Amino acid sequence: MQIEQVDLLILGSGGAGLFAALHAYDTNPRLAILVATKGLLGKSGCTRMVQGGFNVVLDPRDSLELHFTDTLKGGRYLNDQELAWVLVHDAPATIHELETRVGCFFDRREDGTIHQKPFAGQSFDRTVHRGDLTGIEIMERLRDQVLARGIPVWEEHRAVELMVAEGRCVGALLLDIRQGRFVGVEARATLLATGGGPTMYKISAPSLEKSEDGLALAYRAGAVMRDMEMVQFHPTGLLAGAGRVTGSVLEEGLRGAGGRLYNALGERYMARYDPERMERATRDVVSRAGYLEIMAGRGGPQGGVFIDVSHLGADFVRKTFPGMVQRVRDVGFDLATGPVEVSPTAHFHMGGVAIDPDGHSSLPGLYVAGEDAGGVHGANRLGGNGVAESTVFGRRVGDALGQEAAALPRGHLPPQAWEARARHHRRFWERKGGENPAHLLQELRQLMWEKCGLVRNQADLQACLVGLARLRDRLEAVSVAGSPSYNLRWSDALNLESLITVSELIAAAALLREESRGSHFRADFPQENDGEWLKNIFMALSGDATRVWTEPVRFTRQRPPGWEAGKEDEAQHGTRVAPGTV
Amino acid sequence: MAKTVTVVIDRSDAGAQRRFEVPVGRRETVLDALFYIQNDLDPTLSFRCACRVGMCGSCGILVNGGERLACRTALEPLGPVVELAPLRYFPRVKDLVVDFSAFYSRYRAVAPYLKPRPAVVDPVVAPPGSGLREEIDLGLECISCGLCLSACDVVGQVPEFLGPAALNRAYNLVADVRDAADAERLEVVGDRRRGVWQCHSHMSCVEVCPKGLAPTRAIAHLRRKLVAQAFFGRRPRPVPSQQRFAEGAR
Ligand SMILES: Cc1cc2nc3c(=O)[nH]c(=O)nc-3n(C[C@H](O)[C@H](O)[C@H](O)COP(=O)(O)OP(=O)(O)OC[C@H]3O[C@@H](n4cnc5c(N)ncnc54)[C@H](O)[C@@H]3O)c2cc1C
Ligand code: FES
Repeated sequence: MQIEQVDLLILGSGGAGLFAALHAYDTNPRLAILVATKGLLGKSGCTRMVQGGFNVVLDPRDSLELHFTDTLKGGRYLNDQELAWVLVHDAPATIHELETRVGCFFDRREDGTIHQKPFAGQSFDRTVHRGDLTGIEIMERLRDQVLARGIPVWEEHRAVELMVAEGRCVGALLLDIRQGRFVGVEARATLLATGGGPTMYKISAPSLEKSEDGLALAYRAGAVMRDMEMVQFHPTGLLAGAGRVTGSVLEEGLRGAGGRLYNALGERYMARYDPERMERATRDVVSRAGYLEIMAGRGGPQGGVFIDVSHLGADFVRKTFPGMVQRVRDVGFDLATGPVEVSPTAHFHMGGVAIDPDGHSSLPGLYVAGEDAGGVHGANRLGGNGVAESTVFGRRVGDALGQEAAALPRGHLPPQAWEARARHHRRFWERKGGENPAHLLQELRQLMWEKCGLVRNQADLQACLVGLARLRDRLEAVSVAGSPSYNLRWSDALNLESLITVSELIAAAALLREESRGSHFRADFPQENDGEWLKNIFMALSGDATRVWTEPVRFTRQRPPGWEAGKEDEAQHGTRVAPGTV
Repeated sequence: MAKTVTVVIDRSDAGAQRRFEVPVGRRETVLDALFYIQNDLDPTLSFRCACRVGMCGSCGILVNGGERLACRTALEPLGPVVELAPLRYFPRVKDLVVDFSAFYSRYRAVAPYLKPRPAVVDPVVAPPGSGLREEIDLGLECISCGLCLSACDVVGQVPEFLGPAALNRAYNLVADVRDAADAERLEVVGDRRRGVWQCHSHMSCVEVCPKGLAPTRAIAHLRRKLVAQAFFGRRPRPVPSQQRFAEGAR
């Protein structure tokens, strides 16, 4: 096997990966950097798919404190407050850099300054955007700057394993998808920026190549994971029959601008769930409401609810949301003049690898930024804080890598160790006539949707874990044939393995959290329980077993309303360690 | 009986199956058909996609001979037989998957990245209607899908031609008050062999652009700039007014 050596290996070419590459390069131009990405440079991933925009404090009437409080409230105080503060604090400088150095140009107000639009769950209109397809501008321009610096990029090389030697991450095993062969990359530092992506649900939004690879790899390598139960569903995923467009997101700005949600009876049902904020409640609340309406039999012909923006005026809608109007027209409806059927869609994973503010994971040599990291958003992410996270942390972790990477030790593994892992991922070729991974993926998506989705309970979650164990057995019966070059069935098998691994962690953590908070809702424990559960669930693989434990949230900057100081000390001491296997 | 369409695919392996019967519903796209074939009929078929909503530009192919994004092309109206093939001028990786080097070698040549002017330190104040951004806005949403390159007649005859997308990008930067590199970029796009003078205005790029952009318009603007420069020389550009950012946010 070919084994290459670099100083810094960046996995993923979304907002986090590319911004990190630029900053690492600019901080230390002599660093040998390699970007390896599952899809095409800057085209793959979800930063590219960002529609609505980017939360940032620019207006003197707004403040970092307000954005911070909104973020914690939205996250139901489960956030790592230091990470959330970095998000809020570094966002203005990130927008400044995007506009003045990277080459982006965002929409303007009448007075010519940067426009900010309303999003849900925010006390100020602070979402910067380029029309309603903001991610194109951000990713095209970041890509341009990567080209400018001549940073090497391997497209369609997917990481299948992080390699660990003596407790350090020493690089990654990559599959060159085009050639169908493995390549090893030894690196002093490895940045995981593969963008999570909960595509294990029947209806989901992320780009189709994403399959939570980063989380599965980090977990297998022994890194500490957190908040895995927290999966965000976006309330307005488009429904387009059996087509792959189903699950794609109609952006949050529609609700921000005053869009209304109706069930099939024509009731504006948000009045029953959040009479004050109505459609502008946070995503967790609005998604669950939609789901409950659908489950109660008040759904439309495709099993969805309806978003209606026509009362805002057809011209306004066409001018403000041209991308959304076009997408809806593609599937045969008119957003400007009537209701469009939508469903909650799995959108974003708040859980991920535990990091410090400079992206260090618990595994030396492994850095993480973007959606692969956990902690920034707590139990629910605000719309507009996702692309802010990937760019803010990509930038910041890139700086840290520029300063640190060259001095990190280079670990070595014998060629046999690389070969052994490659053989593992080739095992599907040894069988004939086995299971079809595409069909198993369908089953997984159905299982997770029904048993570990928007409304959960103990019995379902237990059944989910049993179902997942069965799927894992059947994964071992999957067979792949034909040429290894660009073999999509092999990709499906590898995707399935990542998704099962991460689904197990989601379901196990969801079973443990016996309360409802943010995007995690337990029908058997429908209340938020601050006394017991202002805690984060952590998980880490050690040997063959999964260590699971909780730690009280550290309110380093802000306490939840009503939280008493004394209680906090008590909770700090009451750390509960619940060992168990997943 | 569900309606079906016959999909005929240009495969890289001459022995591979080429014809497939695909059931079709009203909302399904060419991309959905490819998934169906790969999942259920022939697992060895290769194609590429990512976003599936026309944002990433990964899924360009020839559909009945014309450049299209597979994810935004409805299958049903295409008729009983649909022929699919990889984009022209791009080296083929496998089946419908092509290598984007053909696109990037041209794109890179125009220095497609902002080189910031030292005098512009903060975001530019650009009221709608001020004339600062209107022309650029019209050409901004390029997704680098490569359809225009594949559709360009000139590229077939003059392989060095930079092609529509790269020239469109070059114009956006030349017209950008923030950029410092307009002179070097104009030199590249003014090159007799590779540059704007090769364009015959056949408009094929305009026809196929999934974002409704008009690279020919950008090319015409570039020509005008080149002519103006030849006659009047380079004019210094005024420094635009800027939105002051707090010191800490720079
Ligand atoms: C439809 C949609 C709309 C959204 N809209 C908004 C919005 O309006 N505002 C907002 O704030 N947030 C939004 N988000 C969320 C936002 O996109 C994400 O929070 C953020 O962009 C993630 O960035 P990232 O860099 O971590 O990952 P991504 O941008 O997803 O990039 C991941 C990269 O890793 C690559 N990769 C994956 N697996 C591997 C592997 N095994 N090996 C190597 N590379 C790999 C991928 O191909 C890709 O290049 C939206 C998300 C979606 C899905
Ligand atoms: S898959 Fe992204 S444009 Fe078609």
